Amino acid sequence: MSRYVLQFYKQGYMKYISHLDLLRLFKRSFKRMEIKLQHSQGFNPHPKMSFVQPLSLGYTSVSEYLEFETNEYEEPNHIIQKLNEAMPDGIGIAACRAIPPSKKTLAAMVEYASYELKFKTNHICDWNEKLEEFLQQDKIIILKKQKKSKNLVEQDIKPMIRDIILKDSIVDNNIITLTTTISAGSNFNLNPENLMKSFCTFLDIPFEKEAISIERKELYCSTSEGNGLVPILKIEFKN
Amino acid sequence: MTLTEQLDKLLMKVEKPARYIGGELHSVNKDLNNVKTRFGFAFPDTYEIGMSYLGLQIIYHILNNTDSVFCERIFAPGIDMEGLMREENLPLFTLETKTPAKEMDILGFTLQYELSFTNIINMLDLAGIPFKSKDRSESDPIIAAGGPCAFNPEPLADIVDFFMLGDGEEVLKKVCEIHQSWKARNGNKREFLEEVCQLKGIYVPAFYEPIYNENGVLQAIEKKYEKAPDKIEKNIIEDLDTVDFPNSNVVPLIEVVHDRAVVEIFRGCTRGCRFCQAGMIYRPVRERSQDRIIDIAKNQIASTGYEEMSILSLSTSDYSKIEPLVTDLMGMCKQNNVSLSLPSLRLDSFSFNVLEQIQGYKKTGLTFAPEAGTQRLRDVINKCITDKDIYSGMEQAISLGWTSVKLYFMVGLPTETYEDLDGIAEIAKNIMDIAYRMNGNKRGRFNVTVSVSNFVPKAHTPFQWCAQDTMESFEEKHRYLREKLRKIKGVNFNYHGTETSHMEAVFARGDRHVCETLIKAWSLGCKFDGWREHFKYDKWLQAFKETGIDDNSYAFKAGNPEDILPWDHIDCGVSKEFLISEWNKANHCEQTQDCRRGCVGCGINTHTECKQEGTL
Ligand code: SF4
Repeated sequence: MSRYVLQFYKQGYMKYISHLDLLRLFKRSFKRMEIKLQHSQGFNPHPKMSFVQPLSLGYTSVSEYLEFETNEYEEPNHIIQKLNEAMPDGIGIAACRAIPPSKKTLAAMVEYASYELKFKTNHICDWNEKLEEFLQQDKIIILKKQKKSKNLVEQDIKPMIRDIILKDSIVDNNIITLTTTISAGSNFNLNPENLMKSFCTFLDIPFEKEAISIERKELYCSTSEGNGLVPILKIEFKN
Repeated sequence: MTLTEQLDKLLMKVEKPARYIGGELHSVNKDLNNVKTRFGFAFPDTYEIGMSYLGLQIIYHILNNTDSVFCERIFAPGIDMEGLMREENLPLFTLETKTPAKEMDILGFTLQYELSFTNIINMLDLAGIPFKSKDRSESDPIIAAGGPCAFNPEPLADIVDFFMLGDGEEVLKKVCEIHQSWKARNGNKREFLEEVCQLKGIYVPAFYEPIYNENGVLQAIEKKYEKAPDKIEKNIIEDLDTVDFPNSNVVPLIEVVHDRAVVEIFRGCTRGCRFCQAGMIYRPVRERSQDRIIDIAKNQIASTGYEEMSILSLSTSDYSKIEPLVTDLMGMCKQNNVSLSLPSLRLDSFSFNVLEQIQGYKKTGLTFAPEAGTQRLRDVINKCITDKDIYSGMEQAISLGWTSVKLYFMVGLPTETYEDLDGIAEIAKNIMDIAYRMNGNKRGRFNVTVSVSNFVPKAHTPFQWCAQDTMESFEEKHRYLREKLRKIKGVNFNYHGTETSHMEAVFARGDRHVCETLIKAWSLGCKFDGWREHFKYDKWLQAFKETGIDDNSYAFKAGNPEDILPWDHIDCGVSKEFLISEWNKANHCEQTQDCRRGCVGCGINTHTECKQEGTL
């Protein structure tokens, strides 16, 4: 049994396929390549393959991760090459790394995600100053729907924001580009749309979901010491 | 803003945006500089339905195998997408290159069911193409159509420039060749149509004119272009092994209705059920060889990564070497970790043996189609199943541990009486009795679903002269059955809507007059009529009224064999004499044998050879 992590991008029209569709695409691609995936035990066995952090429909990404296990060892370069032959335009494999087997999935190790957010606005202000003011609030409260009861509850997202930066301070054609690193994963997770909504409310400008384009740049976990971040691909495994 | 930028904006807002993006594995893109014919294959329903249709994969594959032809796909957008497209003035486009449909050279619609006709009009409207041939300019695409409903093309005669009858594999390539030389010499549309109508199986409706007398009775179908054929004979591929078949299907990125590898094992049917249009228009039976089938199946699995495969034909078990074929397929699928699904198997011991192996513990999904409740009525419709067949099949199923079966019946069949409906209930009851007898008190939780559809008389069948039941009568029969079946424990009942069956009957035997109604109904908001949630019967009634068409005179019309029928100039190869004799035999409850036991003279052998004749 061998375990891998695969880094891929999702661009162009492929942002419109859901993560279930993408999972099926990978499953079929492995089958075409005749790479046998390890299957779970039980009544309804399914291949051991999962995304480290599913991407919302409509987002592009330059760095997504798929974790999977095969029955036999395959050369990572071979996997990259073969998979790329079968991928539709817009999806490509950037890297593949064999990693040591573990009970803990990579999905359980993710802590942060970085995004680039582009939106169109006529609003004129000193964006850097506004961002600073936004982040300097004691609390940044959003209303979040609870999964079960569907009640709206207040949530302070401030601790989940690591940074928001106006990218290169370019304010071009009314298009504002921000990059942000925020919590992601099973413990704390902040949806970048909610962050944007909150920022727009703070600025008192309308928030339009369709007017924002979002691209995921990277997924991270923490380094073993300090509070640095390391991309999932470069994750270190202790023996 | 370009079309793609505009599209991007809309896709953020719609349900299942991947319906509109293309880019699937094995979808085709071509350098437009080398392309001489741009063919838009238009499916008048959603992506999920169209992509499940094998004919699309075949045509797409065959056309794109020709370097100078580029076939792109176009589907009916969902209601939400359509609304946004209209708001933003985004025209109907192809999936492959996002080119407006209006820029295609030929736009070919497939006609799978009558209730998709309003979608054709809607798609033309979304494309910005005038509906009627006579209103289109030289720069508009040529509108073509094919598929089973092309055998009664008349309701669409004012819309479609040319129809293709029968197997399309070879003639489509020829049509494209003619298109290219015609385009090179800058011809006009009339010249193109004059040329293609010389090809076998091509019907140009503008070259014919139905003549009615003052009572509205069809008198003749007059030719308007001397060189057009008197009768349009369908195309027949004699040997399926000689035509190309997709080895690498386009693999949808989203879930579609049938998402699997599929090989057609034969075309046609020898059984001769008298209500069945497919059984007549696809004659004679032509089989693909076992080697070819296995070969294609292997290639498809290897090239697509599909985890399921299926075979396609009218009556699977009739394949002459079905046992070795299925055994081979099972072995191949097992080796490749692919699950096999086998539709419409006859319930004999071989089939049960196969189902045991391929379904394992999953003992659901057994279906059976006696079609009528008594032997008498089964004789009328020539459905050669006996009570004994039904019960012995069920005994086997129950003894092997199956827990449910679905039985298909039709109501409103010619000569039907309430005794025949009692027969349906009796069959259900007898099956439950078998379950009690074999499984004891709890009947092993066995249950029967009785599914009833409404008989629709179709062109080119022995029942084409037959009136459809009135809607009141259908409803009365449904009520009667529901009451009867309710009393039997373990039996479920469901039935089709009568309103849609009525509409189907109008268009299945419609003439050129009903075209106005179609357009009217569309303008009143009718589309996706085959979808229960979108079907608007009140709007249809209004459309009939406003266009002065009496829908009942179409649906309830009982004709005489001497009548001239609107589709009389369309020759599906089965002779009218045969249909008449079958109609007479039906009225005398006489069966006609399966022609694998010996030719029964349907007439198709004057066009081609019948390889299955007398093979049983
Ligand atoms: S011509 Fe005879 S053998 Fe051929 S399909 Fe017709 S009935 Fe059958």
